[in-house]
Amino acid sequence: MLLPLDLLRAGEWADIAEVSGEPGFVNRLAELGLREGSRFCVVQPGIPCLLQLNSCRLCLRGSETTQILVRPVNGPVS
Amino acid sequence: MPVLPIVVALVGNPNAGKSTLFNALSGLRQHVGNYPGVTVEMKKGDFVVDGRRVELIDLPGTYSLAARSPDEMVAVDLLLGRQPSEPRPDLIISVVDASNLERHLYLTTQLMELGVPVIVALNMIDMAKSQGITIDAERLAKSLQVTVVPIQANAGTGLDSLRAEIVRAADGGVAPAANLLPEPILRESEALHGSLNGEIPPFLARRLLLDVGGYTEQWLTAKRGPEWHQTLLDARLRLSESGCPVPAAEAKARYAWIRAATAMAITKPAIRPVSTTDRLDTILTHKLWGTLVFLALMFVVFQAIFVGAEPLMGAIDAVTKWLASLVEGVLPVGPLRSLITDGVITGVGGVIKFLPQILLLFAFIAFLEDCGYMARAAFLMDKIMSRCGLSGKSFIPMLSSIACAIPGVMAARVIENRRDRIATILVAPLMSCSARLPIYGLMIGAFLTVGRPFWLKGFTLFVMYMIGFLVAPIVALILKRTLLRGATPIFVMELPTYRRPSLKAILRRMFDAGWAFVRRAGTLILASMIIVWALLYFPNTDENGQKYEERIAAITEKAEATEGEDAKAEGEKAVNALRSEWKRTSLLGRVGRSMEPVFAPLGWDWKIGVAALASFPAREVIVGTLGILYQEGDIDSDEKKDQLQNTIRDRWSEDPIRGPYVVPIALSVMVFFALCCQCASTLAVIRRETKSWAWPAFTFAYMTILAYIGAFLTFQIGRWVVDHLS
Repeated sequence: MLLPLDLLRAGEWADIAEVSGEPGFVNRLAELGLREGSRFCVVQPGIPCLLQLNSCRLCLRGSETTQILVRPVNGPVS
Repeated sequence: MPVLPIVVALVGNPNAGKSTLFNALSGLRQHVGNYPGVTVEMKKGDFVVDGRRVELIDLPGTYSLAARSPDEMVAVDLLLGRQPSEPRPDLIISVVDASNLERHLYLTTQLMELGVPVIVALNMIDMAKSQGITIDAERLAKSLQVTVVPIQANAGTGLDSLRAEIVRAADGGVAPAANLLPEPILRESEALHGSLNGEIPPFLARRLLLDVGGYTEQWLTAKRGPEWHQTLLDARLRLSESGCPVPAAEAKARYAWIRAATAMAITKPAIRPVSTTDRLDTILTHKLWGTLVFLALMFVVFQAIFVGAEPLMGAIDAVTKWLASLVEGVLPVGPLRSLITDGVITGVGGVIKFLPQILLLFAFIAFLEDCGYMARAAFLMDKIMSRCGLSGKSFIPMLSSIACAIPGVMAARVIENRRDRIATILVAPLMSCSARLPIYGLMIGAFLTVGRPFWLKGFTLFVMYMIGFLVAPIVALILKRTLLRGATPIFVMELPTYRRPSLKAILRRMFDAGWAFVRRAGTLILASMIIVWALLYFPNTDENGQKYEERIAAITEKAEATEGEDAKAEGEKAVNALRSEWKRTSLLGRVGRSMEPVFAPLGWDWKIGVAALASFPAREVIVGTLGILYQEGDIDSDEKKDQLQNTIRDRWSEDPIRGPYVVPIALSVMVFFALCCQCASTLAVIRRETKSWAWPAFTFAYMTILAYIGAFLTFQIGRWVVDHLS
């Protein structure tokens, strides 16, 4: 099941399935490690939201989060 | 034969600890490099290892070499030796955070393609260890095929071996660049490079191909036209068809390579342990608790800037006055004495007076940034600030401007996005700064205190501050929709791990900010102060050719010679009348009087007009100028201020035309001062921070127009209310 990132709740884990949007934006996210297959945990949901990706904590703003489709998973290791 | 210095570039992600390493390596020998047309600065320093001089250059923190703007391109140009004023680096130190190695190595893999030896400085090994991550540096070096030096920059660990490796690597050759991009990309970029006839180096040809909408693409399309652009698009289309869609293919290839290269070198726990940062963040980024902590912190900061800086500012004022009186005792009466006391000493004092506030604010900013809190504050404030088209990072600069716009404008340096930074800088002077308080106080004291409800005083002051709070976001929004329009910045921000801030780094930031202000802004401020002094001083003779200063001296002497209080008071009155006449006939006085029709719609007479004109370099001088124009002499005590208040109230009320409208006039003066950019220091700092005269000119123009319109509406509406409702 795929859903936009902004629908996840605090503490939920997911894998990124698809990042769409303007190429520069997709590329910048990829440089930061937010790309297909990356596993992350939602620290703070909402707009803007906080994500934990490996040992890196990222803050993402509103409109961008709806363009990221994710596949929820049970935890850090599946 | 003299040996050339080794030029070393320091490159890394933001928060990789690059600046700490730079300070640790180069100590106190630092200076700042500027580049035309961009707002980025690069710090340079040097040190000596084994008799070899090493020149270190600290590039702005970046996540990749995919430059999107001229500001980002400076670093890439410098690394490629395309920055005219700089030599090409002989060596690159790639600073990476050991606790987040894969992410940081992304940039390293790009640096490895530049054809310059790369040393990986594996920073924050302690933090990685505390998270259960261990890194085998030797294995990592072998698989990356570059030198890897583990360091702990803030503790100074590993720096000796890093210095030794710098000399060794600079003398050794360059390892052939690892071929980690897929074959079709290499093939297409080579073809592209060939078709451009060597106009750009192979590395840039690759960036051109991979960075959709990047700086190289913008620049070459503007230069070569849309037909050429089509060939680039065709090349990307071919890549897409051969299974390497741009830009996704680059990240995919690099991360795959990094994963393979680090697999044997890193061991980390399957589940990340809960860290101190995680625990702190549950409170500090919490919507309610985090916001409360932030507001409490801001309260402390502003108390410190307002209250803490006050004694120092008072002391600077006292020293200025003492120096002026010293000069007055030595020099004979005349233009030179007046220039030195009223122009230079008062001017320099007026500049230095801002230093305590700047130093204090930057101590806080450096502390909050260094410990990692600033990003959390930006996160908390982002929602509010995004409503006016800005991001959370604009909050602190705008709030700082309530104390003084100068440190506020300088604090906008923390905003990476150029448009956001400029928008913030342009609206910061709209916030009511502390220099506006004297005129608010005078007007409220004269017209809204006696015989008015007790709450009106505070309420009016509150409204004056609210004008700034409301107008600034509106102007920011308009600017972002018009002049500074562009793609919304990609708001992805990394929240660094909390760490203990270093006192050295904080002192360094304070010193840099203070020095930048005094040296580059100070000269401009002083120049403008002297110009206004001259405009108020000349001509210094009356219609009979007699010098005002001599007449004043004669009256004072005579009054002092005679006995009795009455004669002395009489003498003082005559002196004040004479000084008022002098200002009235001065160049600025004449301009002010001829501009009366311009001031009339605001309800002002020429005296207010001249006082407002004279306050353009520094708004706080208005009270002093009004004092002279209303023949009250120097306003140097509270008693004198009360007297001036009474005089202004009486004179305005006596005026047959303006008499009934004193309150609308007072409000119109206050609104004008709330919105107008009467501060040469702010303009000089805006020029310094934006590296352009256009932005300070624009700020001055829009704020003056806004102030005029605001004062006009205030007076006209006020007059209508007086005429119809009372």
